[in-house]
Amino acid sequence: MKYKSQSVAKLYFVAAIALFVGQILFGLVMGLQYVIGDFLFPEIPFNAARMVHTNLLIVWLLFGFMGSAYYLVPEESERELVAPWLAKLMFWIFLIAGAATVAGYLLVPYAKLAELTMDDLLPTMGREFLEQPTVTKLGIVVVALSFLFSIGMTILKGRKTVVTLVLLIGLTGLAVFFLFAFYNPENLVLDKYYWWWVVHLWVEGVWELILGAILAFILIKTTGVDREVIEKWLYVIIAMTLITGLIGTGHHYYWIGTPDFWQWWGSIFSAMEPIPFFMMTIFAFNMVNRRRRNHPNKAAVLWALGTAVMAFLGAGVWGFLHTLAPVNYYTHGTQITAAHGHMAFYGAYVMIVLAMISYAMPMMRGRKAANSPSSQVVEMWSFWLMTVSMVFITLFLTGAGILQTYLQRYSDQPLDFMTVQDKISLFYWLREIAGVIFLIGLVLYVVSFFVGTDDPEAVEKIEVDAETA
Amino acid sequence: MPLTPRTEQGKAFIRPCTIIYLLLMSLTLLTWALGRFNAQIGLPAMTLSMSVLGIAILKGHLIGDFFMGLRRVRGPWRWVVTLWLLLPASLITIAFMQAGQ
Amino acid sequence: MMEKRKQPPGDLAIWIFICAELSVFAAFFAAYAFTRAKHLELFNRYQQTLNTDYALINTLALITSSYFVVRAVAAIREGSQRSCARWLLAAIAMGALFLVVKSMEYQHHFSHGVTLSTNTFYMFYISLTFFHFMHVIMGMVILAAVALKAHAGGYTAERHAGVETGASYWHMVDLVWIILFPLVYVMR
Repeated sequence: MKYKSQSVAKLYFVAAIALFVGQILFGLVMGLQYVIGDFLFPEIPFNAARMVHTNLLIVWLLFGFMGSAYYLVPEESERELVAPWLAKLMFWIFLIAGAATVAGYLLVPYAKLAELTMDDLLPTMGREFLEQPTVTKLGIVVVALSFLFSIGMTILKGRKTVVTLVLLIGLTGLAVFFLFAFYNPENLVLDKYYWWWVVHLWVEGVWELILGAILAFILIKTTGVDREVIEKWLYVIIAMTLITGLIGTGHHYYWIGTPDFWQWWGSIFSAMEPIPFFMMTIFAFNMVNRRRRNHPNKAAVLWALGTAVMAFLGAGVWGFLHTLAPVNYYTHGTQITAAHGHMAFYGAYVMIVLAMISYAMPMMRGRKAANSPSSQVVEMWSFWLMTVSMVFITLFLTGAGILQTYLQRYSDQPLDFMTVQDKISLFYWLREIAGVIFLIGLVLYVVSFFVGTDDPEAVEKIEVDAETA
Repeated sequence: MPLTPRTEQGKAFIRPCTIIYLLLMSLTLLTWALGRFNAQIGLPAMTLSMSVLGIAILKGHLIGDFFMGLRRVRGPWRWVVTLWLLLPASLITIAFMQAGQ
Repeated sequence: MMEKRKQPPGDLAIWIFICAELSVFAAFFAAYAFTRAKHLELFNRYQQTLNTDYALINTLALITSSYFVVRAVAAIREGSQRSCARWLLAAIAMGALFLVVKSMEYQHHFSHGVTLSTNTFYMFYISLTFFHFMHVIMGMVILAAVALKAHAGGYTAERHAGVETGASYWHMVDLVWIILFPLVYVMR
């Protein structure tokens, strides 16, 4: 760690991991409710568990992004962070607001929560993923602005690099598009139309820039490849991301009452969205193959490469699977969507945050570059357990989705929703088992922070392996 | 390196790219005339369509080779533009044949 | 014959970008052709409302601008920065001519109340040409950046990858129009 103020990232990373654990626990509860409908009812109804599962995901990823930015920006800008106290203050505000919101979801009925938080003054609640009370949303804006201030000022005052530029564009876009969470028109078509400006333009637009910037940073640090080479790739990837991702929003506009041309625009442009992810995979492996050093933090490199592969599979391939309008006509809102959502979020965003934590945490805990070999072994085990079980979750949900699409919508005698749900319950059981293995992987991940802390740290092998060189 | 080295004689020299340019302009006029005056020429629709598509492939190939400089490239990049031209062109041909039936 | 190189002129990254862009257009062209096969009469009827004379001027303008860009690359290879910048400026002017003529065409159709939702033919016509229109603007911005740098003496006979990169992108914009012109305006 070169700069003292980078250490604020540690708070954010610890909170991110804690919330990640919470997210998975609620995921397991919900997965069980798919097959045992009244499990934990009435204490935790399905809708509350779902809100907590999805909201925690977004919140912990935001913690992860912020932590990554606080760690990465001083190093890239070659100066201390502007106003690190603000970063610490905002951390506590965000954490308390987040915890209070989740407690609200769990303790009182949602309608009561809306009443308590005076949602009728500025109604923004009741929309998927944007369920947070309006006060929480305002809090998010304050946190985002303070965050942008300290990151932006640090970047402006320090050395400017392509990595920080792309990161800043991504983070600014994240803040700007969130403002559409406050726009809640009466007209349902318009409501959905702009709702996607938050949801889609985050995950298939500006978040990809953040992902690209963090990945580029980790690769620069761990491979020692020339910055210019990595930056050039970053430019091409983000240009393609923006062209395909922005107009690709159209793949959400097929059936919500928007004009017909969206079926063409959405299909064609979103069909190209895998291209930047594919470029990212080529890029990551290329850089690691051309590496000039063997970074001792093998776990971080593994996470980075894992991100490149899993993001392409989850976001790219599984997204393409149901993005064309004629296909989506049948698959819309089935378990195919859930399959895509799980692998895309894990592959693209969970893994990049874990890669950054894996890279940065050892330094913030006093190591020179990497954890001890025994800690890294545990971490790599957790990598494989989580990644493989996520592949299985995705495959089981895809199986469920294909059957569901066929039985409920495509066959000559379509069955009703609940009958179909009964018929595909085997897949839900298998998914739940894979989910338990994921949790074991996650527990190992947490354990890896406490293993081999007194052992000497892993050292750089000077010779490059012949097989990978 | 200039597209072609200047000749010793200098002045009376026309660059190959200029010849290609004039050829491209003529082919464009031909495409336009075929479309504009087909009522008088009386080509069947399919013949007209396939002729102008063929002309377009030729033009695209010339642009790739001479303007983008691919004729001085070897390996897969040499054929990137030509292959690209043939891909949509063959799909378009299939679609037009379908429509023609 | 000159010695052949392994990589196309300009930065390899722009060529990967060009490939990605070309595949988007290829998908669009194929979609147009297959949809047309389903609505043959509609497409043939409304195609006649397009003005091929405007399209001719635009094709000539783009080919001419591409030629100017070729001359700009040739100029910088001979080490002449001034002349490179002037050729690029001429190419940008041709791009501007394209935008003006295309806008007049749009103006004509829009004043007749045509929108993306009027019918499938117009949906394709406007989408395809407008997406290309945006590429012309993007190409002009790139050429302008290159021209400014060339004017400031930023390139030499030995080091001018930037000029070739911008040139390659601009030729791609031309290339797309070369297919778009017969497909949308002439083929029936």
